[in-house]
Parts: sequence; structure tokens; C-alpha cells
Amino acid sequence: MNDQLAFFTVGIPLFGAIFASLAGLWRAHWCQRIAQTAIVGTAIVTVGLFLQVNEVGAVHYQLGGWPAPIGIQFHVDPLNALVLIVITVFAGLALWAAPTALQDELPGQERFVYPLMLLLVTGLLGMTVTGDAFNLYVMLEITSLSSYALVAIGKGRAAVSCFTYIVMGTIGASFYLLGVGYLYLKTGSLNMLDIKRVMLEGHLIQSQTSITGFILITVGLWIKMGLFPLHGWLPNAYAFAPHAVTNLIAPLMTKVSVYVAVRYMLMVFTPDFMLAHENWSDIGQIIACVAIGAGSLIAYSQTDLKKLLCYLLVAEVGYMVGGMWLVNPVAFKGVIYHIVSDAAMTSCLFLGAASVIQATGHRHVHALRHAAKTMPWTFAAFVLGFLSMIGVPPTCGFFSKWFLISGAVAEGAWWYVAALLFSSLMNALIFFRLVEMALFSDVAHPADEVMDMGKNGEAAIGLRLPLWVSSLFVLGIGLAAQPFGGWIERIVRQVGGWP
Amino acid sequence: MKVFAFCLVFVTGVMLVMTAQDFPAWGDAHSAPNQYLSTYYIQHTYRDTAVPNIVTAVLADYRGFDTMFETSVIFCAGLGIAAILSFGPRNPKRRKRLGLPPSAEGDLIIQTTTRLLIPVTQLFALYVIAHGHHSPGGGFQGGVILAASFILLSLAYDLNMALSRLSDRLALLWGNGGLLIYAGIGLICVALGAHFLEYSALHAILPATDSVMARSHAMLGVEIGVGFTVMSMLFSIYTQLVSLGSLEDGL
Repeated sequence: MNDQLAFFTVGIPLFGAIFASLAGLWRAHWCQRIAQTAIVGTAIVTVGLFLQVNEVGAVHYQLGGWPAPIGIQFHVDPLNALVLIVITVFAGLALWAAPTALQDELPGQERFVYPLMLLLVTGLLGMTVTGDAFNLYVMLEITSLSSYALVAIGKGRAAVSCFTYIVMGTIGASFYLLGVGYLYLKTGSLNMLDIKRVMLEGHLIQSQTSITGFILITVGLWIKMGLFPLHGWLPNAYAFAPHAVTNLIAPLMTKVSVYVAVRYMLMVFTPDFMLAHENWSDIGQIIACVAIGAGSLIAYSQTDLKKLLCYLLVAEVGYMVGGMWLVNPVAFKGVIYHIVSDAAMTSCLFLGAASVIQATGHRHVHALRHAAKTMPWTFAAFVLGFLSMIGVPPTCGFFSKWFLISGAVAEGAWWYVAALLFSSLMNALIFFRLVEMALFSDVAHPADEVMDMGKNGEAAIGLRLPLWVSSLFVLGIGLAAQPFGGWIERIVRQVGGWP
Repeated sequence: MKVFAFCLVFVTGVMLVMTAQDFPAWGDAHSAPNQYLSTYYIQHTYRDTAVPNIVTAVLADYRGFDTMFETSVIFCAGLGIAAILSFGPRNPKRRKRLGLPPSAEGDLIIQTTTRLLIPVTQLFALYVIAHGHHSPGGGFQGGVILAASFILLSLAYDLNMALSRLSDRLALLWGNGGLLIYAGIGLICVALGAHFLEYSALHAILPATDSVMARSHAMLGVEIGVGFTVMSMLFSIYTQLVSLGSLEDGL
């Protein structure tokens, strides 16, 4: 049974989606149970897989029983086993919060929402676990398609935002597909490890076609992860999606795209390939610095709570892309650690925002007025998430910034260091603006009367519990930073071929 | 902004054209895609799977996992459109303003022709599904033709007539069922101790088959699953779109 674990990571949510959809035809309330059971099962399997991979090294699972370049292969190394756990844990939190969030927003739609959510999780897990460049595209497709549908069922401007998302998402996916096509044209193979082998053996890695393929794949993934000049779709789509959906896609979608980019850099194209082009690293860092700066600045000007968080997310994507393009093991450690910690932070913040919005009925930042008094527990978790966003020890945000900065210092990338510090400063400014509203609410403000603030209680328990758990993750990942970071660095060196 | 966008597109275009210089020559038999894996497929497909149509074998067996998820993509599209339209914010006034045309008087000639045409179309669709191993065809194509026959019915008569044959609920059920057939065949292989979708393991439960013929038979099974999903989901998408999700009389 042990050798089937890799398949069950994708298989359980897929069958869960089918059964949830079937159950929805008769008993809509079963969908939720099936979805939650499936995600718990998947979490158990991914943890088992992680332990197994840590013990015996990379595991390959041949679908259809065909050996690697002929058929499709799952490739699980400790790095993506870690990402698998992150996906299932935070998807689990989102699904835990989903019934309460859906009750208000989309009553009676459970029979569509849960199967689509499970298909989304299936796609994300598949993107992470697969070792086949084209299979990754198929998984990307199912992830995107289910997220389009989930975003579009929201109210108000959701449909328009979703249309932008569809157009940009499709362009991103086509760029990725074109890139894979270019690699196939040169190597004749679709398996990632096999592409690398053929390119290295045939000295094809520096050929024009391979380089263009790499650029196309990178730009396609940049669109998918919402890097700054290509981020146009992200804030609106995530902000206007139903809360239950935002809780699921905001922590995970960008992170998985970042992981895929890391994987292409380390496993298909080697770090040497990246370093052979002197100016690439600089270009990547300049784009990242602009993304960090712009994301933080625009976030400061937002008045919609969820949109504010979305722009913070755009800045966070800049962190990770910049870290990747430093191309050294310490920075990659920072990137991987940031994937984990950012998933925890965004999960915490978006769950917090959903709780606040649900309790007050407003999505303006003024919804936080009186929060310290009326909903101290919700607000405390929200604050913890935000402290991590700023980078206050011992939360995980501090350590991911620390690792990224130490990687940048080693490369002498001072602009990137400056951008990170600037972003921390901006986050602190935003934070104090929010805290001021929540704490010093005895100062009268016109919003109190207009929005009827200060009369609500805590958010529903169904939202608060997942929120607290995610805030505990923020703290826990931070407290375990030293051993965890050391472990990540060892794995990164192993995968990237650094001594 | 437009000038900037044009420059960007122009630069990308130039980059792609310049890269084309590096491509293998047109029709080059020694290029990597023609040499490496293609050779394996051409030489081994019939021996491995007893299916003469290499395209079908690659689609449904060697890369069957991709095809399963392509089927899920279609399923997901149908489910998504049903979710957006049938439960979205309904504004009866707006729907009235957009105006669903009143159903036209049925035309005797069109209806009679359709009655003759539909059985033949559906029979051909079944042929396309079943004969995918030997000739161009397979579950996707056959499913589309089947869906077309139902759409033809709703065009010649009206939507209610077509929905009385294949209701929305039944379409969703069959869409699920098709995917379940595909994934279920894969899961049976796991239960028999092989890898997911490793059809050759099925010879243990299929009577009078060896491990090679088992692959051929299982491919037919998954194609049938694909056919179910594609047919019902495409028809469901059509009915949702023409009636703006109300599933009432439209075209």
C-alpha cells in the first residue's frame, strides 16, 4: 500500500469531488461531509508520503505502469511533499470554515461549491506532485477552471472580475503550454527529469529554443502567480469571490505557482543555467523589487479590507520571485520557507477578514472599528497574522524575511534588501492604521453611525476556530524556524545540486 | 498605453520568429520529437496494447492520466456553468429585457428530417466511440456527436422536448457517471495491486483476456466513460446557456 501513497494524494480529492457531486443530486448537505472527509484523508496520506520520502528519498509513481518518458510519472521529493502538506492543511482550514461562510453568502449552492473546491484542490495537488511538464498543464487547467467558476458565483462585481481573471489566466496558461511545446521540440520528451537529462547530454540547454521555452514558461507562471505588472486580475478576483472561496484560493494558488517556478529552476533548468546569463538575475530582482514596492504602496491606499490583503499578497509574490532570482541556496531556503509561512499568514488574514466582514456585514476597513472591544478573539488572531506580515519575531514572517535577506546579503543584492525593509515598513503603517481603528474607537467617527458599528459580537464559531488554528500555525512555524529552516536548506542543496 | 502594448507584442513576436530559426527543419525525420519517444510508440504500441490506432493508445493508455483530467476539465466546465447560471443572482426583469425568443411553430419538414437524422447520428456516434481503436475517433468525438444529436432535437422541436429526453439532473448524473467509469477503471487496477490506470492488471478479472488484450478492452471502457461525460456536459452547457440558466423554453 505504501507505494500507492503518491497516487492517493490526487486520487482521494478527485473521487471526493465525484462523490460530492453525485451526493449533491439527492442530499446537498452530504457534500460538505464528503468534502471534509476527503480533505482529512488526503492530509493523512500526504503526511504519510512526507515521512516515507524523508526516509527513502525521492519516490516515483508510474501512472498506467509505463516507465518514465513513455508514460506519466509522479515525482515526489521532500520539497514537494512539504508543499503537498501545506496545500492539504490550509485547504482543510478553508473547508472547515466553508459551511459557515457559505451559509450567509451562497445558501443552497453547496452541491456545486464543494465538488468545485475539491477539484481545485485536486488540481493544486496534481500540479505539485506531477513530474510531467504536460500533465502539469492539465492540472493547471483544472485548477484554473474550477477557480474561475468559484470566483464567478460571487455577488456584485465578481462576474466582471472573473472575466478579467479568465482572460489573463488563459494567456498565462497558453504561455506555459507554448513553453512546454518549445522544450518538446528540442528534446522530444515531456518528463521533467528526462527533459533535463536530454538537454544536458545533448548540450541543448543554451540553445535559443530552450531559452525561449524557459522565458515563456516563466512569464506564464508569473501571470498565474500575479507578479506585479501582470497582477491585474488578482486583487479583484480574490476580493470579490465569496469568502469561502477566497480562504481557499488566496493562500494556495499563488504559492503553488511559485513552487512550480522553483521546480523548473532547480529541477529542469539547473541553477548553472540561470547563472550563465549574467543579467537575468538582475532583471528578475528589479521586477521583484518593483512588485514589492508597488504592492505595498497600493495596499496602503486601499479601503476595502479584502482588497488590501490582496495587494499585500501581490507584494509577497514579489518577495518569493526576488528570492528565486538570487539563485543561491540560502535564498531558495527563504523562498520555500516563505511558501509555507505565507500560506499560513494569508490563510490567517483572509479567514480573519472573512470573520470580521461576516460579523459586521461590512467590507470597508472601518469594519474593524471597535473590533478590539466587540470581537477581541477574532481581532487577536488577525493581529497575529498581521504581525507576521510585518515580520515581528517570533512569527513566521520574521524568519522568512530573515532567510531571504541573508540570501540577498550573500549576493550583495542591496536593492532587494531595501525593498523588503520598505515593504515591512509599509505593512507596519497599514497595521497601525487598522489597530488605531480597532483600539481607539472611543474617538467618535462618522463611520460609526453610517455603518452602525460597535453593536456586533464575535464572528461565528465556525469561522473563529479555523482562524485560531491558522494563527497557531503562524506562531508554530515561526517557533520551529531554526530546525525547519535547516532541514529546508539541506533539501534545497540536494535538489539544486549545490554542495 | 496602446503604443506600449504594441511594442511589447512586437518584441515578443520578433523573439518567437528569431527562435524559429533554431527549430528543427520542417519535416526533419531526425529531429528530437520524431526520433525519441515517437519511435518507441510506433514500434511498440501494437505489441503493448493490441490497438492499431497509435493516437488512441497514447491518449487512453500511455498518457491516460492526462485524458482522465481532460475529462474532468469538461466535467468541471459543465458544473461551473450550471453553478454560475442556475444559482446566480436572478433578476427576472433583466431576463425579460434580454428576451428569450418565444418558441417558434414547429416546422413539419425540419421535424421530420430531424426524426430521421437523429437515430443515424447517434448510431454513428456509438460507432465513433467503439471504433476509436482502429480509426480516427474516440470518446471525445463520439460524445460531441451525441450531444449534437440532442441539440438538434432541441433546435427542431424545443428545449422542453430535448430536456424531457435528457433532463438537467440526468445530464449531471451521467457526467459524474462517465468520470466515475474512467477513474473507477483506474481504481480497480489499484485494487488489483497494480498502478493507477495500469489496465493490464485487469486480465485477472476479465474473462478470456491476456494482459495485452486487457489494455485494449479497458481503453474501450474509458472511452465510453469519456463519451458519457462529454455528451451530457456539452448538452448541459448548451441548455444552460440558451435559457440563461432557467432551463425553460428558449430556442
